[in-house]
Amino acid sequence: MSYGPVRAVDGATLEIREGEIFGLLGPNGAGKTSTLSAIEGLLKPEAGSVLIQGIDIQKDPLVARAQMGVQLQSTGFHPDLTIVEIVRLYAGLHGVDLPQSKALDSLAELGLAQEASRRVNQLSGGQRQRLSLLIATLHEPAVVLLDEPTGGLDPQARRQLWERIEQMRKDGRSILLTTHSMEEAQAVCDRVAIMDHGKILTVDSPAGFIKKHRNDPRVRAVAHGRVTLDDVFIGLTGADIRE
Amino acid sequence: MSSQDLTPSPPAGHEAESATPGERIDRRLPKLSPPSRSLTLRSLLRADFVSQARNARALLGTLVLPVVYVVLLSTGKRAVALGGPKFGVASSLVGGMGLIAVAGYSLTLSRHRELGVFQRLRVAPITTSEIMVSRIIVQVAAMLGMAIIVLAVAVIGFSVHLSAGAWLLTLAMVVVGGAEFLSIGQAIVGLIRSSETVRAVAPVVFIPLFVLSIFAHLAKFGSTLEIVSRWSPGGVVATILVAAMQPSTWTLETWGALAATVGYTLLFAGIGIKWFKWASR
Repeated sequence: MSYGPVRAVDGATLEIREGEIFGLLGPNGAGKTSTLSAIEGLLKPEAGSVLIQGIDIQKDPLVARAQMGVQLQSTGFHPDLTIVEIVRLYAGLHGVDLPQSKALDSLAELGLAQEASRRVNQLSGGQRQRLSLLIATLHEPAVVLLDEPTGGLDPQARRQLWERIEQMRKDGRSILLTTHSMEEAQAVCDRVAIMDHGKILTVDSPAGFIKKHRNDPRVRAVAHGRVTLDDVFIGLTGADIRE
Repeated sequence: MSSQDLTPSPPAGHEAESATPGERIDRRLPKLSPPSRSLTLRSLLRADFVSQARNARALLGTLVLPVVYVVLLSTGKRAVALGGPKFGVASSLVGGMGLIAVAGYSLTLSRHRELGVFQRLRVAPITTSEIMVSRIIVQVAAMLGMAIIVLAVAVIGFSVHLSAGAWLLTLAMVVVGGAEFLSIGQAIVGLIRSSETVRAVAPVVFIPLFVLSIFAHLAKFGSTLEIVSRWSPGGVVATILVAAMQPSTWTLETWGALAATVGYTLLFAGIGIKWFKWASR
């Protein structure tokens, strides 16, 4: 996938296993969002394919999207609708005819009952993320895509969200999440891929990563004491700040 | 980009503590079918109608300003100067439709695009045409509601006589003219990405659209202005509306105005669809 002369994603191959939380890590501009956009069918790759439960998203986008729940950081909800109206809208768009009372029950389960008649811009960051997760899973999808789900959240809200993501895995869903937080990757991901300059550099479990790369001179050069996932990440992708 | 396979494959070497592989197979989630079109369209329509009803600018355009226009343009000397109350009513309808389409529709589209509402909708298992069809239905319904109110005010307040056929034909022409104005609104958001710029440009487009519809049947300022006005996007709609209110006056020139309306619609819709981007970045 390219934007003009810039190749955003180049030869990326990933496979997400059933009931797995898979983390896609990379510095800004690494190609994570473009990869996610291709998986969602929002961008068309120049070559290759994306299969969701064996369904090619380019050939059969509606059936493929029906298998997915998506939480995107760069998207928003209707500003004039209340929270409960938004829940009912997205339930309907995923084939769930949710009456008002059931929608309110779903919100209550997430501690959002008091917010049901509010607008999205009146919610806190954590409440918005919980709402996004609810909408992503209303239709019981097999695959859930989460784009920096805990970005901008305080530690308490982040922990709560990790528990919800863990619960999704227990329910049998496969989860692909992008994150900048190595702590998050280490805490919730079964496997992670490090991506940079549009390419997948390596795929492993967080523990496997550290084991595999702890003696790499680039990693040793940035480590302070015990090697962490953060050190491996910076060692492999460089210490330069990306815009 | 090579490939991403999100087909959940049996876990191999999976280190999850939460479940054993056997348990996971029991929980395997079934393949889902795309939702029925009627349910998705119903959900979109409900959301778009509620959004429209809560939008103060849209309500102003739908209910208040067109009635003010009809009162101003259909009374006394102004009505006589315009060629009779029906010309004032036609221009008021053009003003109302212009407000709904150029100010309301285009601004809402650009605002929703900037907020990422469209990107959120596009990852649902629905087509992009469903998203737009729902929005267009709501705008056309708003135009019809506005037209009924304006025509009722004209009939009750200004002794404009409309036969049953004239009512139906006028409302049909509101739909035809509305399509032209919506295509202009679509062209605006197709050519301009920023909602702030759309907000600035909308009045610049609306004012000549409305004013030229007033001049469309006014020879007072010379024949050149009259001809330009009559064949302008607002003028052609005013012409078909005036003729629809009195079907016996439908002439060859009215057919020409109708053809021009359809032509403008295709032109602006083509521009609006070709250059429209679902995301602002």
